[in-house]
Amino acid sequence: MDLPINTAAPTIMHIDLNSCFAEVVQQANIQLRGKPMVVAAYPSPGGCILSPSIEAKKLGIKTGMRVGDAKKICPAVIVRESDPEMIRDVSGKFMRICHDYSPDVAPKSIDELVINFAELDDYHKKSLVEIGAEIKKRFLQEIGDWIFCNVGIATNRFLAKLASSLHKPDGLDVINHKNLKNVYSSVGLVDLHGINVKYEARLNAVGIFSPLDFLQAPDNFLRKQVFKSIVGHYWYLRLRGWEVDDFKSERKSFGQEYSLGEKTDEAEKLTALIMMLTEKMGRRLRDSDQTASGIHLGLLYDDWTFWHRGRKFNESLYTTQELFKKIMILFREQPAKKVVRKMAVSCFSLMPVADQTLSLFEDNAEKKRKISAAVDKINDRYGEYVVTPALMIKSKKTILDRIAFGGLR
Amino acid sequence: MLEHVNEIVSVIASYNHEKNRFIPYKMRWRLRDYFIKRLAYHHKIREGRSLFHIFHVTDGNLDFRIRFDTESLNWILEEVSDGSTD
Repeated sequence: MDLPINTAAPTIMHIDLNSCFAEVVQQANIQLRGKPMVVAAYPSPGGCILSPSIEAKKLGIKTGMRVGDAKKICPAVIVRESDPEMIRDVSGKFMRICHDYSPDVAPKSIDELVINFAELDDYHKKSLVEIGAEIKKRFLQEIGDWIFCNVGIATNRFLAKLASSLHKPDGLDVINHKNLKNVYSSVGLVDLHGINVKYEARLNAVGIFSPLDFLQAPDNFLRKQVFKSIVGHYWYLRLRGWEVDDFKSERKSFGQEYSLGEKTDEAEKLTALIMMLTEKMGRRLRDSDQTASGIHLGLLYDDWTFWHRGRKFNESLYTTQELFKKIMILFREQPAKKVVRKMAVSCFSLMPVADQTLSLFEDNAEKKRKISAAVDKINDRYGEYVVTPALMIKSKKTILDRIAFGGLR
Repeated sequence: MLEHVNEIVSVIASYNHEKNRFIPYKMRWRLRDYFIKRLAYHHKIREGRSLFHIFHVTDGNLDFRIRFDTESLNWILEEVSDGSTD
């Protein structure tokens, strides 16, 4: 199927906050503005950089680098830990402002969202460029004078995201059928969202070296020779400005992971940490009104070997105790007792609580679930970990509040 | 350099009913007065039932993070930073 470039008027706006975590810290700390600084998971040399400021990025400091490596590039770089409460507050304001313009706002992550104006016709009596400029102005007035964002406008989500990346850190760009080829000629393959270095190599191998080559590749060629699946067709449409990414992904699991500050092989300490991770995971599971029947445990040892095991059970798990018992079954199956540096737990095979079939043999299950929900309510009202399993007494607050990268669901 | 302080401080704050703004403008910490020139950010935190207002302010030389506890009416100076490398 050959399709032309989409010539419709753009209706999708992609907005992302720049270097969000760093920008938020600079917003709160005026003395840090204009200076190279990074927000890291830990301030120690091994700490992973979550977000470098614009000034640090200009020096070549990147997300994912170690603090020690950033200090080699710029010894004067300032390191701060993130402030999850403040980031959530900024993100909440960011979402609320955008909701003033359309009911169809899809958050992509804590600092990124897409506004769909398709159903609004000319309700706003303004062009999308004017609305984009107004949103940028409102961020500065209503959130903070250091909160800059990139706005991208196009006919589909893919091109809107590309448009938002054209003039960082404070851009407002439109990609339409008139400038599409010009834009593609000014960027590389890896600048396209979804094309990483591996994909680039795959495209290079079939003679596609630039986004323009990619655009000119026929549908059949992409589908049958490059991607060898329907994915090739999606790329064909996406590159021409047709929407293929307008779907909501469903959550399939909940997980927590933790890097141990003090590596250990002591079963007692590890058990307490597993309980803490399970409690956090269980709270999120219960918040979503779902149960899980699958459990997974992953352990990274001090010798950099990795062991993991996942299993599905016949029963549905809901309370922290139920989840914990199953995780401990897996924990005891470790082939060797080694010093652990990182652990991860997750639960999968989720099912809504309302769809559950009650067990004939477990008459206390319903009671335990109600107790669990009541404990969650107490913790919501009086503070996290006010009521906790006894195993967690010694490890309260060991696991820090973190904001995850990636999608929001 | 960032210093975690967590000390109770004395604060004079003003409330403007027309703009609905509440801003600390003078803080006494360790027998010294700091005149707040600018509010950089304000947000709220809930810890269970307790509500705290967090004010990120500056006197022009130092940045302060001050927490106002709405239950005890205490002001806590949580952090001080001069914006230099640690």
